[in-house]
Amino acid sequence: MEDVAWVRRGEITEIVGRPSSGRTSLFTACLRDVTRREAVAALVDAEQAFDPASAARAGVDLRRLLWVRCGGRRDLALRAADLLVRCPGFAVIGLDLGEAPPRLPLTLAFRLKFAVERTEAALLIVSRRRVTGSGASLVVETERDAIDWAGPGPVPTRLAAARTATRVLRARRPPASLPSSWWSA
Amino acid sequence: MSRFACLWIDAFVAAAAERSEPALRAEPLAIVAPAPTVTRVIDANAAAREYGVGGGMTETEARARCPALVSRPFVEGHVRSARHALLEAAFGVSPRVEDGGAGLVYVDAAGLTWLHGEPVAIGRRLVGQAWAVGFPGCRVALAGSRTAARVAAVSAAEPVTVVPPGEERTALAGAPLAVLGLPPDLAATLEGWGVRTLGELAALPRDGLAVRLGPAGLRAHDLALGRDRDPFCVWTPPPFWEEAQGLEWEIDSLGALAVVLDAMLGRLCARLMAASLAADALDVRLELASGGHHARTVALAVPMCEVKPMLALIALDLEAHPPSAAVTRATLSARPVRARAGQSGLWQPPAPRLRDLVAVLARLAALVGPDNVGSPRLDDSHRPDAYTLHAFSPPDEPGGADGGRTPRPDPPLSDSHRLMLRRARPSRRVAVATDDERPSRVDGQRVVGCAGPWRASGAWWDVDAWARDEWDVALGDGTLCRLARDLRTGEWCVDGVYD
Repeated sequence: MEDVAWVRRGEITEIVGRPSSGRTSLFTACLRDVTRREAVAALVDAEQAFDPASAARAGVDLRRLLWVRCGGRRDLALRAADLLVRCPGFAVIGLDLGEAPPRLPLTLAFRLKFAVERTEAALLIVSRRRVTGSGASLVVETERDAIDWAGPGPVPTRLAAARTATRVLRARRPPASLPSSWWSA
Repeated sequence: MSRFACLWIDAFVAAAAERSEPALRAEPLAIVAPAPTVTRVIDANAAAREYGVGGGMTETEARARCPALVSRPFVEGHVRSARHALLEAAFGVSPRVEDGGAGLVYVDAAGLTWLHGEPVAIGRRLVGQAWAVGFPGCRVALAGSRTAARVAAVSAAEPVTVVPPGEERTALAGAPLAVLGLPPDLAATLEGWGVRTLGELAALPRDGLAVRLGPAGLRAHDLALGRDRDPFCVWTPPPFWEEAQGLEWEIDSLGALAVVLDAMLGRLCARLMAASLAADALDVRLELASGGHHARTVALAVPMCEVKPMLALIALDLEAHPPSAAVTRATLSARPVRARAGQSGLWQPPAPRLRDLVAVLARLAALVGPDNVGSPRLDDSHRPDAYTLHAFSPPDEPGGADGGRTPRPDPPLSDSHRLMLRRARPSRRVAVATDDERPSRVDGQRVVGCAGPWRASGAWWDVDAWARDEWDVALGDGTLCRLARDLRTGEWCVDGVYD
């Protein structure tokens, strides 16, 4: 199976950024690409922040998504991700570490790296800051550019969209074109 | 033309113990049974018999003859499972097998040449099957009758013996009378007449035997001629496949128990593979030192006959539900099903193999709890965050015309560039200052942009009615979040952050 969008299989990719910078939307777009191709994805959710309704509206096939809720326990999330990366067959394994991620020990980062190389899964880590150091092949940072409000009158009644920009912080190889666009609410 | 094969295991009780504990094959072994006054040997392997150890003697006498003798208590479960294993091994070669007793199995070999070739090849196949289920010393003989095959197997030195058709009487002539297992009084009478071999018994006049010995004499004569007297009773496999292991010492750690279960699963899986079956579920029964027992049923979700994932699933189950006392005996029963081979589509995207998936799901459930692993499904409700988590089972229907090489079209009303909401679970209460009913400050943070309200309500006819106003607000620190005000209580809370 070919790489999904700009994420490469068998490598670790990190998406970092401040809250509301669009990192979760970028990650969900990857999930959508994977599940629409009828492959299977997994999401290890440290903070239990995943919203199935938003994901379904984004086109994610929820039947092909394994969601592991860790209830705020990041240590459990890391162990769960360690289990999943060793199971061949998942196209993408997402690890959402939330807003206060611990920096992974170098041994664990390289353990994950070697595991995904063997199983050819793409490990996507979403967090506030970089956690795997040199273990990640690609690190992108998202930043919000603009907000668009909508409403029938002069007073907006609904958030319409947000525009984000994506910047490459580290890339072992030049990535394909990164999505940078408007995300509709 | 009738052809029968006979599988014969010498010293079957000892062989059953060796099967459960293969290291014993290198030792002189005696199986002992405690009697009211003294412990007696009931069976011994070939190495022990070389020292003169035999059934019926006391354990003290046996140890006097063979100081290096290893003794094991008689465990009926070992013999029972070994007997079944031998029958199942034969069942993998022919659908018509008969249970002839402990260590003795008859196989109807008529027509098997079409499948396996010459009679020698059939014999080798049976020997191989028996070896695979833990009987390396199995001897097989093929003949025109079951009696002739049995006598040939018992008397032979080679693993495979073939008696040519019509030469049964000649082949049996030199065998001692004892191989027929005649009643003691009849055997004593014949010995008194000077009859020592089957050939001598077969040469006696049949009418004279009938007059002097009656039906028992005629039966013995038929057996000496290699004729079968009883009909062939076809054995059918039992619905539950079982392996048992008695333990010399009590086991109180799961790690040590896993080693025992590993060996038992190895034997069970070998039996299943010999019959081209797979286990659908495993019943684990542990007898405890406290006198009670601990029973668990491990559903495998996918039929399998591989030791490693089965052991992992049992270990995880026992870790979650440990026995209350030390274990003295373990029994494993498999529910067999016919395994079906499957083939993935050439262009189908890779997916986790079912046995890997089952194992990893069980590990994840043990790690984060079974309620936190699954696939989300949206409920048919407008209530915020209405979803349920179902068991993860990705659909395996093929894709479109090209088998999934191109993505499926998006479902209606979906947008690939959709801004995601990161839910706060549970919703976080906040203090909101309002200006003309619009939020102006959230927990002290200045609101720089605001849209709303978006009013929603539901279940007003029920006790869990809900009604709320939703606001999208941009805070001074750049956070874009969704606020909700409960219209019944007036409380504000953060539903989540757009990200």
